[in-house]
Amino acid sequence: LYFDYLLLTMSSINAFIAANRFGYGANAKTIAHIGASPQQWLLGQVNAATVASEILALEPRWSSKQALESLAAYKLQKKADESASSMNVMQQVSGVSRKGITESVEGAVAQTIHQAIVSENAFLWRLVDFFSNHFSVSVGNLNVRALAPTMEIEAIAAHLAGSFSEMLEAVETHPTMLHYLNNVYSIGPNSKNAKKSKDGKGLNENLAREILELHTLGVNGGYLQVDVTELAKAITGWGIGSVRTQGLSGFKFRKNAHEPGHRLVLNKTYSQHDDSQGKAILLDLANHPSTANFVSSKLVRHFIADEPPQQIVDEMVKVWMSSKGHLPSVLKVMIQHPLSWKQQAEKFKTPREFVISTCRSCGIESIRPDFIRSLTLLGQAPFSAGSPAGYKDTQDYWAGPRAVMARIEWAEHVSKFVKQAPLVIAKNALGLILRPNTALQIGRAESRQQGLTLLLMSPEFQKR
Amino acid sequence: MNASVNKNMQDRHILNRRAFIKSAVTGWVLMQSMSSGVLAKSIAPSTNKKKIVWVMLRGAMDSLSCVIPAADPFLTEHRASLVTAMSDTALPLDKGFTLHPALKNCYEWYKNKEFSPVVAVASGYRARSHFDAQDQMESGLDNTDYESGWLARAVAVSSGEGLAISQTVPIALRGTKSSQTWYPSHFAPVDDDLLSRLRALYQQDKEFTQLLETAVTNRDNLAMSEKGKAKPDFSYLAQHCGELLSRDDSANCAMLELGGWDTHNNQSARLNGQLGILDSGLGELKDSLGKVWKDTVVIVTTEFGRTVAVNGTKGTDHGTGSAMFLLGGAVKGQQVLGDWPGLAPKNLYQNRDLMPTSDVRSWMASILHQHWGLSLTQLNQVFPDVQPIAQVLVKSA
Repeated sequence: LYFDYLLLTMSSINAFIAANRFGYGANAKTIAHIGASPQQWLLGQVNAATVASEILALEPRWSSKQALESLAAYKLQKKADESASSMNVMQQVSGVSRKGITESVEGAVAQTIHQAIVSENAFLWRLVDFFSNHFSVSVGNLNVRALAPTMEIEAIAAHLAGSFSEMLEAVETHPTMLHYLNNVYSIGPNSKNAKKSKDGKGLNENLAREILELHTLGVNGGYLQVDVTELAKAITGWGIGSVRTQGLSGFKFRKNAHEPGHRLVLNKTYSQHDDSQGKAILLDLANHPSTANFVSSKLVRHFIADEPPQQIVDEMVKVWMSSKGHLPSVLKVMIQHPLSWKQQAEKFKTPREFVISTCRSCGIESIRPDFIRSLTLLGQAPFSAGSPAGYKDTQDYWAGPRAVMARIEWAEHVSKFVKQAPLVIAKNALGLILRPNTALQIGRAESRQQGLTLLLMSPEFQKR
Repeated sequence: MNASVNKNMQDRHILNRRAFIKSAVTGWVLMQSMSSGVLAKSIAPSTNKKKIVWVMLRGAMDSLSCVIPAADPFLTEHRASLVTAMSDTALPLDKGFTLHPALKNCYEWYKNKEFSPVVAVASGYRARSHFDAQDQMESGLDNTDYESGWLARAVAVSSGEGLAISQTVPIALRGTKSSQTWYPSHFAPVDDDLLSRLRALYQQDKEFTQLLETAVTNRDNLAMSEKGKAKPDFSYLAQHCGELLSRDDSANCAMLELGGWDTHNNQSARLNGQLGILDSGLGELKDSLGKVWKDTVVIVTTEFGRTVAVNGTKGTDHGTGSAMFLLGGAVKGQQVLGDWPGLAPKNLYQNRDLMPTSDVRSWMASILHQHWGLSLTQLNQVFPDVQPIAQVLVKSA
């Protein structure tokens, strides 16, 4: 059957480039789905309806609301347990446990990966992955662990068909980010809370700094320390509502923690008196040329090459500025640029791309060790970059000696799960990209497992 | 073992079971993150103390180098370059055959009446794909059923319990009755055969060649500093297989696998190493089986044989007829079994391969009949496509 698909795409190697470079790899179904117009396949994914249906496919879904409610219930129970144990009485307040939360979170992570494997809109999931790493959060404590997988769906995926400014605001006001970069503890030095407080709580610049350095302008984007401080003051009071006392489970502007007064950021004055002050600054940051350049460069570095071709970036920046960061328009420039379709694959797959494309090509939807453990063994545990800068997006970072050996071991291990003939998988996954020598070596392998290992470790499968 | 540990282990079993149900692979998968003692606990006591271990050699073992037909006048004509080097050291067997000198343990067992090779065997498969041939041999059916293996069917009709020394359930142990798997939790180390194939894969790609060589050097340096750490090589796996089987209430059959037999080039040196690995692994198996060895039959087979003639790279290519080994304390050894078709050109299969004169499955069926007491009706359920060999293979109880 795959010969039919090969014939279909004989004229265009681009279907395979589209599937591998912009998606999560190919199988016969993927290639049939892409059909004769790979660019249309990609462009058609970045719209509101597709985004909505992809998110819907994750139902039932672990939400930030559930996470916050579970965290509140858990903390309540822990308190009760502590007082109960002193009386030597077992008392169950609610069924929420630390383990239960962890299981829900792992389930949510696995569900997203599963959707990336089976979805015919894989480009969308690649974009989710990209922006999730752009707005990287790491699971240091239970709060962030419980919340982490909800942000990439609620704040990132949900805004892929809109403007970067919308995504930016959704991320910076999301409970995950507010916890992760400590803004929940940030208090304006002249706010009502600061005047009442005697324990020295004050301004925390963490989130403001990373907004400027990592999320928008970039480190050389033209801001100064004074801009960091001013932005930090502008977003004081951005916190999370209390589930217990307020019945809330999301963003809450705490006026009493907000620094009063005007703010001056990048030489512009902002006179609002509530959370709209910080949001207005975010809007301007999102449409700043430095942000357009920084994020466009990162996109091209992620999808096309470690050294992003400046021509693509420049054209994306132009459209970013004229469309106010409308992501479908900006992405369209990258998709339609001839330099994005060079036959030479420049990018070494990340472990996540390797795992997901393996599953997609081999037609397996679950693996042992499971996705999270596999990614951990391969060096890319979800939500564990350990830095708000996220995982690096270049080959030197992913192709270290231990990482390469781990890939071989993992490939050999996972190959045991697959029944299909390796050469059939190879032709469906790579089509005309498949090198004759790879096909030859697969054919010579002494077992199906070994043949598949060779395919998975072939240069044309490892790079996209 | 205290109660909480016990509870914890039960939880792990439930989790594992759940994980399995979600996974695409059939069977009850247990990972080695538990101690191997847990495994035995989870198995219902077997009514059958007689053990069968099947060792599958993947890649097509060259039988003519293992059970050498030294007395066949055509042997040196076909492959002088492969046999002359061994002619002095090969170990003499019955009927003019000799055994490869690397099979030292096997030869001791032969002398001790615990080892019998079977010559000129094949499965029902007559093409030359490793993958398809292995699948068919595991399935044991002329038309491969990927969800039904011969060992699983044998276990089902005899109320036994199967164990795969593998990370997933192989076809041989797939079926209606769940089998178990045991494997160390860390991945198997990449063996030399795969490395040499990766080198061939990367031969035109400098970048990946460089990546691979750096990775190998790094690993080897690391291994030097971690000496003594157990690695899941064949001996290690065979040893644990024996330990698991030797428990009173453990499984009554197990499957072990060993790859690396696809000797298209440089065959003499490679086979020497491979057979050494196989032989010492079987030795570990015997030692760890302990008292159970006397109740054990080990069946060693490969998916097909190799060409009688030597190819241009001092190796042999995919063939047809091969050999199998029956060994263990329960085996009526010191026989060279099977009919020898001869190596005269007119006797070769398709003018190139050793002609098979019996079906691997007929010997397996006979073992199931004599060792486990399966009836002919039951045998028909396990191997519907063959008849058991009518020859005494197992010592009378």
